Amino acid sequence: MNQTLVSYLSQYEFYDVLLGIFGKNEGLLAFVIYLLFAGAIVGLCATIGGLGTYAERKISADIQQRIGPNRVGPYGILQFLADGVKMITKEDVMPNTADKFLFYLAPMLALIGVFATLAVLPWSNGFMMADLNVGIFYLIAISSLVGVSVFLGGYASNSKWSMLGGMRGASQIISYEIPVTISILSITLLAGGMGFGTILSQQQGTPIHWYIFHNPFAFIAFFVYFIGALAETNRAPFDLPEAESELVSGYHTEYTGMRFGFFALAEYIEVFVVCGVGAALFLGGGNLPFNVQIDIIPLQLFQVVIFMTKALILYYVVIWIRWTFPRLRVDQLMSICWKYLTPIAIFNLVGNAVWIVVFNGKSIADLVFGGH
Amino acid sequence: MTPAQFDGLMPIVILMGIAVLLFAGGHFVSVLLAPKKPSLLKETPYECGEQPVGSAWSAFNVRFYVVGLIFIIFDVESVLMFPVASIFKELNEVGEGGYALIVFLSFISVLIEGIAYCWKKGDLDWVKSFQVSSKK
Amino acid sequence: MFAQLLFLLSAVLTVGCAIAVAVTKNIMHSCIFLLGSLIGIAGLYATLGADFVAVTQIMVYVGGIVILMLFAVMLTGGKDFVSRAQNLLGLAPSMGNKWTYGIGLFVGLVFLLTNVKLLSNIMKSYPVKTFGNEFPSTVSQIGHLLVKEHVLAFELSSVLLLGALVGAAIIARPRKQ
Repeated sequence: MNQTLVSYLSQYEFYDVLLGIFGKNEGLLAFVIYLLFAGAIVGLCATIGGLGTYAERKISADIQQRIGPNRVGPYGILQFLADGVKMITKEDVMPNTADKFLFYLAPMLALIGVFATLAVLPWSNGFMMADLNVGIFYLIAISSLVGVSVFLGGYASNSKWSMLGGMRGASQIISYEIPVTISILSITLLAGGMGFGTILSQQQGTPIHWYIFHNPFAFIAFFVYFIGALAETNRAPFDLPEAESELVSGYHTEYTGMRFGFFALAEYIEVFVVCGVGAALFLGGGNLPFNVQIDIIPLQLFQVVIFMTKALILYYVVIWIRWTFPRLRVDQLMSICWKYLTPIAIFNLVGNAVWIVVFNGKSIADLVFGGH
Repeated sequence: MTPAQFDGLMPIVILMGIAVLLFAGGHFVSVLLAPKKPSLLKETPYECGEQPVGSAWSAFNVRFYVVGLIFIIFDVESVLMFPVASIFKELNEVGEGGYALIVFLSFISVLIEGIAYCWKKGDLDWVKSFQVSSKK
Repeated sequence: MFAQLLFLLSAVLTVGCAIAVAVTKNIMHSCIFLLGSLIGIAGLYATLGADFVAVTQIMVYVGGIVILMLFAVMLTGGKDFVSRAQNLLGLAPSMGNKWTYGIGLFVGLVFLLTNVKLLSNIMKSYPVKTFGNEFPSTVSQIGHLLVKEHVLAFELSSVLLLGALVGAAIIARPRKQ
């Protein structure tokens, strides 16, 4: 049923060796493998989150024709470590009229929501921690925990800036979930399943088989997904809930030190997850650009590299967009979602369904060139 | 399901546990390392340098709630469409694609009517119709 | 072993948070404990093998209903969101003495054990319908059922959603003064 990392690794010989070490206890071995892999993924994503802040400052500096951080380490690359140390040593201030329990809970909910999405991210065709049958559906469901945490962060601070930021942020996140979900529905239609394994297995081969080139409706669906995902992660130009010039700092005004660090970490990791999902759904994920029949571990690692490259290219585009466009007003934000993106997404869905029935599920490449 | 099939859920629980541990660890480290000098000035909520007037927990505009209502309807709709979308391709290959298409499209069309109604009646506008906000 | 651990975690989360919903004085805390309880129920669905239903629970309830409830509580305002009434433990001594509590507990236990004994006999002999190896996942099963046998329910649910949408929009509209 569900393919997992352990069931993938169990086809190699070293798995039996490890099984012997653990005394034939499959559950314990699975737990240890998952723990190690989860630790590696969390470390990798935290590094990506930290380097994301550095990349953002450098890229924004480049766009604005200045230099950016270049003191800490070669080319300033250790800047995020310095920022982390700074955040840990800052005092932890809580407003005296705040709601203590919810104040503590909000960043933790954001972290839980974002980390739980890392379990189904398709790093490669075999290295998914859990290839659930409901993979992509689970991912969008669990990332709505971040919406709750935005609201709680705003509410618990008992400051008017935070409250406004929190309510606007939560309504923005839930509104933009609709076009994102409907775009993902289009991909589910094309792939015939929700699991990442199913979706990735259909995009094998040359880039012409990617879903973005499948038919014009899927092409538009990619952009609807991308814009919706930008808004879901509160990224500019949709960052009204945390806008510096509008609401001081929105829902995380009153958060200091490590707690603010956790909110920021959750946001950057969420952006990476969203870019990774976009890469997997529309751009072919970790699939190699040529057909291979053998299946060895170094090839899987190569696929991980390819997946990360695609995700990081999308991440670069996300950062680029932030420093290019002005911020949207809150009513423009809502009208973009409900009056433009949602009708376009529904139109894509209908178009995809009709395309599948009329052309029997073939992509444009299949129709023009006649089969693989 | 045999117990081995729960293996897919193990990484999820492990990752949630790691998130909680990371939060607790970070909190613990900052308790050790960060200064702790509470003062009345630091602990009042920020309001651009003034003393905050009134509590922030007052009643809010109704448009947030309307957005939430519309969202929940479309959320349930997309959830209901997921299983049908998953087997759409399969049904198409068996030859029942036309039937599945009709089922799918009639489901969506009813909800297109819904969004068209809300659009026409001004429920999707953020500013215009909601001049009446609840008082505290 | 992991299945039991998952069940234990989900059950403790569900029941604990459900009790906390009723007992806390602050209504916002009640909403958040409801969130925890619903996540626990999703975990329980997962232990039963219903992966699609578990994720639907998270998507609709956690992602939608709880946020809606939080908005509704904020909409109706309220001075501090704290109830003035005493909580359950404070009211307990005035609701009975040790005899009534003891007899009530004893009768409750007897009732519970009888029911469990009766129900277990029924559930052991209940024929379970499985699809075998045709449909490898519950999503395909649900999809096939929705399109073949229950298609009328599927279409009527969309009409029901339309009714809910129109009703909610009308109720939330500002009154003509």
